[in-house]
Amino acid sequence: MLLTRRNLMQTALTLGAMHAFPGLTWAQARPLVFATFTGSWEEAHKAVLVPAFRKAADNANIVLDPMLSVDQIAKVNAAKSNPPIDVMLHDPGPALQAVAQDLVEPYPVEKSAYYRDLIPAAQVPTGPAPFFQVVGITYNPETVKTPPTSWADLWKPEFKGRVGITNLNSTLGTGFMVELAKMHGGSEANIDPAFKAIEALRPSLAAVAANPGQLATLFQQGQIDISPGNFNAIQILKARGVPVEFVIPKEGAIAFKTTIHIVKNSPNKELAFKLIEAALSPEVQATLMEEPYLIVPTNTKVAIKGELAKTLAKDHAEIAKKFVFQDWGKINEQRAAWIERFNREIRV
Amino acid sequence: MAATLRDVTTYDLKLAAPLAAGFVLFFVTPLAILLALSFQTDPQGGHYGLTQYVAFLGDSFSLGVLGSTLWLGVKVTVLTLLLGYPVAWLHQRSPGWARGLIMLLVLLPLLTSVVVRTFAWVVILGRQGIVNATLAWLGLIDTPLKLLYTEGGVVVALAQVQMPLMVLPIITALSRIDPNLADASSVLGAGHWRTFRKVILPLSLPGIVAGCLLTYAAAITAFITQSLIGGGQMLFMPMYIYQQASTLQNWPFAAAISIVFLVSVLLVVSIFNALGRLSRGYADA
Repeated sequence: MLLTRRNLMQTALTLGAMHAFPGLTWAQARPLVFATFTGSWEEAHKAVLVPAFRKAADNANIVLDPMLSVDQIAKVNAAKSNPPIDVMLHDPGPALQAVAQDLVEPYPVEKSAYYRDLIPAAQVPTGPAPFFQVVGITYNPETVKTPPTSWADLWKPEFKGRVGITNLNSTLGTGFMVELAKMHGGSEANIDPAFKAIEALRPSLAAVAANPGQLATLFQQGQIDISPGNFNAIQILKARGVPVEFVIPKEGAIAFKTTIHIVKNSPNKELAFKLIEAALSPEVQATLMEEPYLIVPTNTKVAIKGELAKTLAKDHAEIAKKFVFQDWGKINEQRAAWIERFNREIRV
Repeated sequence: MAATLRDVTTYDLKLAAPLAAGFVLFFVTPLAILLALSFQTDPQGGHYGLTQYVAFLGDSFSLGVLGSTLWLGVKVTVLTLLLGYPVAWLHQRSPGWARGLIMLLVLLPLLTSVVVRTFAWVVILGRQGIVNATLAWLGLIDTPLKLLYTEGGVVVALAQVQMPLMVLPIITALSRIDPNLADASSVLGAGHWRTFRKVILPLSLPGIVAGCLLTYAAAITAFITQSLIGGGQMLFMPMYIYQQASTLQNWPFAAAISIVFLVSVLLVVSIFNALGRLSRGYADA
């Protein structure tokens, strides 16, 4: 074949177009796209969940496309009839938004082999919860000699100028406010007591971080000694040698369901179902419970062992007792107003 | 015969077409969508009106956020100018090898990402950071000062992060000044200070204005530095927009805030530009 300028150009253009619009090359059978979260989530899913899925689905192709919940919602919303994502992962707030915006396919509960084995809180028909996130008190054991036992300890005079919190942009910050409201006679519908409590905490505050990730940096820099914190984030810090410990306060740990959803109008519903089944399976959950992932299982067939049994709960009965789930339906109704109020009242 | 000669001093506008198409596609279109979005009365869409603008402009808190953001830019710009001008001056007055060194030092920050530079400031300003450790070692303070998560910290960090944007235009302006002018000034009896004030400073004004413009625009939109050094208690416009768009999914309000911010920045920029024109007239006179 003679390589003319014209067909060289054609080839170049085609290759270029395929590169610029990868959708072209997928044609009908595009791989399953799973929007997980970034960071340790992605690592855990790549190492454990993806191999388990491929084994269960005859080596079907899967692509991890990690992004924040809000970005997942925005992307699916932008192309509802032909969504670029097949499986979404959500914190409780965004999960309800996605359901409300009709972006989610109901989970085929009767077909599922594992759904019935999940703890009751994880059985959500719009998308079950394969994992939990647990928020308790984080502290620096080098400066805090007696481990805190209650959220109320943050108000102790010895922590003046040593406390860190986050603002309400994050699930963690919002969940913490709701917990405060509950401690002081309020609820998801009545947040006033929480704002009063935060006002009283002001002299103690060393930092109001813009997101939970910043709390980690603040511990590392010795800027704060005590704060509410996510169990898994603390484990990562600990593994890197930062002096931090995690305790569940006597009021209970704030627990968030991380739910997994089949996207409405997904062309890969069958594969999406298989991926979610793999995420719910005792094998995957048992592996993810081990070091270094330490992800709290929701399948009651998984016996809790290791670090989790030591720090969090020894079995699922204790989880049910110690974990406090919040009503995010109610929280979402007023969250905008709370953020607004936090902006105004907690500003320096 | 003259008509057939090609005019080499004008260029065919078609050459700019690819760039222009790129601008229309990736800049003008999104901006138009943003503008349209800002007139939606609620996130679900449907109705159009000025609701979002009324909500922003009629709210003293929101106006306060806008004001403090614009004011932050002024503080950063002034500090950058005060610190940056001597550097540019030194560069101009140094022998060749030192010039290269100064230029390298000025450019060095541009070679690392803003996130890395900002994290360095977290380490410098922290409770056990370099500043507090030094002050404690000198016995000047007993308890660490709070530097991180303060407005002063944000201003200092932004000034360093944006420094090259100020120094480079001033270096260019200074290098264009004929060295004979300074000699002439001193021959005519002016001292160093007077020469600087009456000759060098006015002639470098275009560089100063350009530097201020770049620094100002970069400082007020620096989302990363503002939130990492400022923390969650300090609210500036970029974070405000992010919060509305991302956390609350209130796109119309976020779009309206963006447009208001854009217009205010354009106003400030046109003031700078007017000053720049004045200064050019001054320099030519």
